[in-house]
Amino acid sequence: MSDVRLGHDVPDFSMNTYDPVAHGFSKVTLAGQKEAGRWTVLFFYPADFTFV
Amino acid sequence: MGCDVFTVSTDTEFVHLAWKRSEKELANVQFQMAADPTGAVSKQYGVYDDGSGLALRGTFIISPAGVLMNSEVNFYNMGRNVDELMRKFKANLYLAKKPDEGCPSKWKDEGDKTLRPGPEMVGKVHEALNG
Repeated sequence: MSDVRLGHDVPDFSMNTYDPVAHGFSKVTLAGQKEAGRWTVLFFYPADFTFV
Repeated sequence: MGCDVFTVSTDTEFVHLAWKRSEKELANVQFQMAADPTGAVSKQYGVYDDGSGLALRGTFIISPAGVLMNSEVNFYNMGRNVDELMRKFKANLYLAKKPDEGCPSKWKDEGDKTLRPGPEMVGKVHEALNG
């Protein structure tokens, strides 16, 4: 089940990323997004090499 | 806009790179592609499908303070509408500045009619929307 609730703090997360603009691997953390004062949209989809 | 979009699946970042490299439809994609191979983040957001090990089509908007402001989850075979995502995102930005107002369903962009919930609006929503 889900740990997150609307209107509440979400837990920190850390994920490795591929950045197509910088054309390299990087990492995203919620802590980093908060520190940078950025909004975050997480857009989940089932799998690469399929429709999104 | 001060916003970063991360696409997330249970594939690794290496598969993301391979997919981006091979699929011409992704030529213009500039979003960072995040890897959740353990499903840990997908589980936190309630979109992890145990049966397949895949994530359902969930979209979540998180404020700079780390508060979840919007969530939408579609099943596998239902696509998402990017215009609606943009509408929700713009509404969140607007409401962050004007927390006493409300964006009705037809609100699309700054300048559109908003509501100010309060005693005088009780039973008079029609007038507030159409006045």
